[in-house]
Formats: sequence, C-alpha cells, structure tokens
Amino acid sequence: MEEESDSRKINNSFLRDHNYATEADIISTVEFNSTGELLATGDKGGRVVVFQREQESKNQPHRRGEYNVYSTFQSHEPEFDYLKSLEIEEKINKIRWLPQQNAAYFLLSTNDKTVKLWKISERDKRPEGYNLKDEDGRIRDPSTITSLRVPVLQPMDLMVEAMPRRVFSNAHTYHINSISVNSDYETFMSTDDLRINLWNLEITNRSFNIVDIKPANMEELTEVITAAEFHPHQCNTFVYSSSKGSIRLCDMRASALCDNHSKFFEEPEDPSNRSFFSEIISSISDVKFSHSGRYLMTRDYLTVKVWDLNMESKPLETYQVHDYLRSKLCSLYENDCIFDKFECVWNGSDSVIMTGSYNNFFRMFDRNTKRDVTLEASRENSKPRAILKPRKVCVGGKRRKDEISVDSLDFSKKILHTAWHPYENIIAVAATNNLYIFQDKVN
Amino acid sequence: MVAKGQKRKLLEGRGGAWESQLQSVLDISMEKFHRDQALVEPSLLRSVLISNTLRQVQSEVRAQVESLSSVKMPSKPQTHSGLEPDFPSGSPSSTEHNAPLFSLNDENSNTEEDVMAWTSEEDFSLSSAISVILKDLDTVIDAGQGPPRAPLGSVENLTGDARHTQYPPSSSRTERASNVVPSVKSEAACLGCPQDVVLEKLLLDIDTSVFEPEVNLLQGFSVTADDLVKYLPSLSKSPSASSSSSSSSHGQATWEIQEIEHVMDILMRTYPQS
Repeated sequence: MEEESDSRKINNSFLRDHNYATEADIISTVEFNSTGELLATGDKGGRVVVFQREQESKNQPHRRGEYNVYSTFQSHEPEFDYLKSLEIEEKINKIRWLPQQNAAYFLLSTNDKTVKLWKISERDKRPEGYNLKDEDGRIRDPSTITSLRVPVLQPMDLMVEAMPRRVFSNAHTYHINSISVNSDYETFMSTDDLRINLWNLEITNRSFNIVDIKPANMEELTEVITAAEFHPHQCNTFVYSSSKGSIRLCDMRASALCDNHSKFFEEPEDPSNRSFFSEIISSISDVKFSHSGRYLMTRDYLTVKVWDLNMESKPLETYQVHDYLRSKLCSLYENDCIFDKFECVWNGSDSVIMTGSYNNFFRMFDRNTKRDVTLEASRENSKPRAILKPRKVCVGGKRRKDEISVDSLDFSKKILHTAWHPYENIIAVAATNNLYIFQDKVN
Repeated sequence: MVAKGQKRKLLEGRGGAWESQLQSVLDISMEKFHRDQALVEPSLLRSVLISNTLRQVQSEVRAQVESLSSVKMPSKPQTHSGLEPDFPSGSPSSTEHNAPLFSLNDENSNTEEDVMAWTSEEDFSLSSAISVILKDLDTVIDAGQGPPRAPLGSVENLTGDARHTQYPPSSSRTERASNVVPSVKSEAACLGCPQDVVLEKLLLDIDTSVFEPEVNLLQGFSVTADDLVKYLPSLSKSPSASSSSSSSSHGQATWEIQEIEHVMDILMRTYPQS
C-alpha cells in the first residue's frame, strides 16, 4: 500500500505531463454545471479539470460546441492524520457546482474528509501604467518619476485562475461519499458513512449534524449511508440511501436531528431472487432527484429504479442494467466487483436515465418508450464523430456476430461516473482515465 | 427407508449446490474479512456488507439446522472430542445475535443406522458443514467491528497431540464433505492453537455427558457447548458420499482439526464467563 502511494506521488510530480495511464489519472467524478457550459472532472490524484464549451461558430457548424480544457488545479493533496496514523486519500469523491451568481464560477469538491469551495475566475485584462513599479514589477526609482499617470486596463491573454475560498474540514470521522448544494444556495450538506452534516457556505468552522445513524455499540452496525441529496426545489427536504437498499426522505423542519424519516422507500425483497448476495446487490450506490423533484432514481448493483416520492412501497419503474450478471454474483463477490459503486443520471427533461456498466458499456433507458440501448465508450471501437453503434451482450446460446458474451466482458473497464448536460443531449462518460463526451447526432 | 435412493438423489442435487455456494461464500467472506482487518482503515461500507453476508450465511445455516433437527433421534453419548484453535476475535458482546444458533432441546445425536434411515448423506455433510460454518461465523461476526487481535500460534502441534492422546479413535469417523474440509483446514492452518493445558481441560469437559449450559455467550448466542458437541457426532456419521476429492485419511485428519477448532471456539468463549 505504501509503495503504491509512493509511486503515485512520483507519477504526479514527474510524469504528469505524459499520457501515462497512471492511477492518479483515474477519473473519480464528473459533473456539468447548472448551465452546461462547464464540465468538471475530479481524479484520483486530487486534481480537478474543468472543460468549457466552445461558443458555436457559424464557420464550423459541425463542431457544435466542443468542450476544451478551461482550468486545471490541484484541489486536494494527500494528507496524513497523525492521530490515527492514517493517510487521507486525495481522491476527489464528488464535485458539485454552485449556481452562477456572478462572473466567477464556484464549485465544491471533496475528498474523504474535507470539502473545499473553489472559485474559478477569468482574467483577461490587466492594469498597465503603474507609477511606482514598471511593467516587470520592479520598483521604479522614485527620482525618475516625473509625471503622474493613471493605470489603464489593457487586454491580455485569457487567464483562468482557481482559488480555494473555503475549506470545510474536521467534521467527518468517516469517509465522505456525497455532497449536495441546497436550493437555498446558502447551505450544503456533506455525507459520510454514518452522519450527514449541514454547512453554511460562508462558515467553515461550524457545521450542524442532521443525521446520525451511528449505533452506541459499533458492533451493532448493520447499515451505512451510501448517498444523500437535497431536493432540487424544497430546501427543507433531502433524501439519503443506505446499504440495505432503503431510502429515507427527511424534512429539516421536523426536528434539528433528522434521525426520524418522513418517508421510507423500500421495495420488499423478491423471494425468488433471494441469494447470499441479496443484501450486497441491494445496497444503493447512488440516489438522484429528478429535475422536476417529483421522482427519485436509485442505482443498486443490478438495477436502476425510479421512485415516485408519493409512493413508498415500491418503485415506479425498475430497469435491469446487466441482469446477466445475476448468475455470476459469487465470482463478482470474489473479485470485489460486486462492491463497485455505479452512478446514475437523469437527462434534462427526466425522460431518459443513464448509468454505467462493465466493459466500458453504459446504458440508457427511455422512460416513455421503454426502449433501452447499450453503448460503448472506447477508442478502439468507435471513431471520433462516428455514430455509436448499439452493443449487445449475448446471454447464452448462440452468439451473433456483433454480440459479446458475458464471459468476455472486461470487468476492469467499468463506467462508474457519467453526467448529462442539463438541457441538451450531451453526455460525459468517464472510462477509467479517459473522458468521453458524446452528443446527439446532428441532422 | 422408503425410496431412499430417490430422496437422496433429490436432496443431493439441491443440497450440493447450496452447500458448495454456502462454503464458497463463507470462504470468500472470511478471506475478505481477514484482509480488511489487516488494513489500517477498511472501508466501513465494505465491512458492513461482508459481515452482513456472513450473518446471512449463518441464518441460512441455522434454518437448515432447525429443519434437520425437526426429526427427533435417540441420543448417543459422545465420546470423541475435538478441539480447534480459536479464530481471532475482537471485543465481545455483539448483542445483535440474539437468536440461538441451535434451538434444539432434544437429543440431536444420531446413531448411524437412524441417520441413514431418515436422511440422506447429503444432510449429514450439510450438518457437518453447518457446524464448521457456524463456528467460523461466530468468530468473524464477533470480530466484525472490534479491534483485530493477533492470530494465535501454529496448529501443527495441536493436531498431533489431539489425535493421539485426547480422544478414542472412532471407527465410524469418515471424511466430511470435501468442500468443507479445505476451507476450514486453511483456517486452521492460519490460526493458532491454545495451549495443551487448556486443551486437556476442555476435552475432559467435553467427555462428560452432562454439561452446564453456558447460556449467555459473549456474542449473545445461546448456543451451548453441549449443543454443539451433540452436533459433532453427526460429523463422524457422515459418509458424505457427495464429497468429491479428499481421501479418507486426509479427510479424517483435517476433520479432527476442525472438530478441535469447533469445540475450542465455543469453549474459549464460554470460559471467560465461568
């Protein structure tokens, strides 16, 4: 473990400029901002790379707003907790954008322990014509100054700078798995395995604990929090999901500590599908409100479920992501793949949902037409600007020409993180250390 | 004896697959558990999921045990004894394991003939697997959130002593289900053995037919030493035809180790209270 981290640091400092597929480059989170103009990725090495969409130009209409690198900065560094003798990973677990209120962009990025608020701002002018110093910054000899002049702003090459504005630390004993910005734009919450804390964006030395499921005796622990999110419009409502496949909706107006839920969403177990792994595969890896705020989407190991907030007893819709893995759960348990945490996303109109799978496959489900498609994010199998060909996994029997059999799937190529543009059909798919951006085909 | 062959085949088919998956889940879980314990900071989600899976294995095993025990059998005094090294276990009292491992109040040991009469060989290999697994589970779940303890010393000495001095060789001892053997053997190999003094003390106790019920085990199980030992004869009775690979002699040696582990496990837990 030690060697791994050492080589990772070496790779960071010496080999960062090269296109090495180092572990530090593994993308760990992807997120569009609220307008879709910016796309942020965080990686295992603690870096954040922000892409900006090009303005569409009439000269090149086919290059419909591509994303280019806008800013890169090191958000988190590896730390060492001296009290516990533990290294704190710098891997960025989540990025969440704040809504834009002025020319600068703000995002929250978090590793296992610390949330940071970053301000990304542009500078394209600089003042020139100072009296006391010359253009290089050297102090002018006062005796040479004969006249007074007013500095003027001159255009300069665009410079994008990222500055940490707030650091929210020392509030989590366990590993942070989610952050969510409240619709009031004043508060946000950070969630670890056992607790959820509420912060004010302006105040870093204090946070309020709103959910605590830590048992008095840790040996009685059977359930942990896996994800949490604020309602998109109701600033008093949030949900959190658990490792047992349940979702709790809480109202912060009810009490200061929201240990008692207002709603409890859980689907009764299907006895015919019961196995030793039933609980593990029911553990929810991601929970997302729909843009409308009426629905909830959860991802567990084999399925994506859409819930109606008004119906707690069972999900509205269940989509099988890769049911062919159900018979392979034992081997997936052995090679740890069963613990992979896939995310899921809504499109802008809440009509299509998307999630990742193995072999660099990702799946989209149209909620209205009930059609689904499997696509692959891989350089070998698709040329740039070519239309993605739907893929199919052959479950048994005869394998057709373009199908891939379950046993040939590459389980090391997993798509855990995806993002969908808030308005348009543009998706970002993270495949290990590569980021793919796909758009709807232009007619 | 009615349609014995037919019944046996049916149960073997179902039981074999179930048992082998049970065993692999247990093996894998134990391995993950031990590996995670070696880490400085294991992921809490992972630990919880693995220990919950182990608990589920335990409850499935318990359900099997209860269904097996639903047939009443005349008791037979147990003369053999086996001791096994304790698994590393963390702090005691996992209070969530309230239900007893065995809800048997009757005699559960079976004579060989009776055994063959009412159940298939598969059931016996099942119950033997069950005993092993239950012991594994006890320690694992107990250690689930507690501080890890260093494993005890090697087990080689124990095997030799135990086999030659401690209990009378039983002619009816046969191998267990082979899929049980390798896993527990590997557990035994990596864990330590108690001292001989403790061993002898435990063996003497086991040899008596009446035990003081040690009800409140540290984990909250109400399994008692004598309950478990009543199960041990089922190990000796199981011809375990469904087991595939191990030879008898190999199986016997490892099976003895396993028995030792079993009983040691229980007694190590009950003794702190006495």
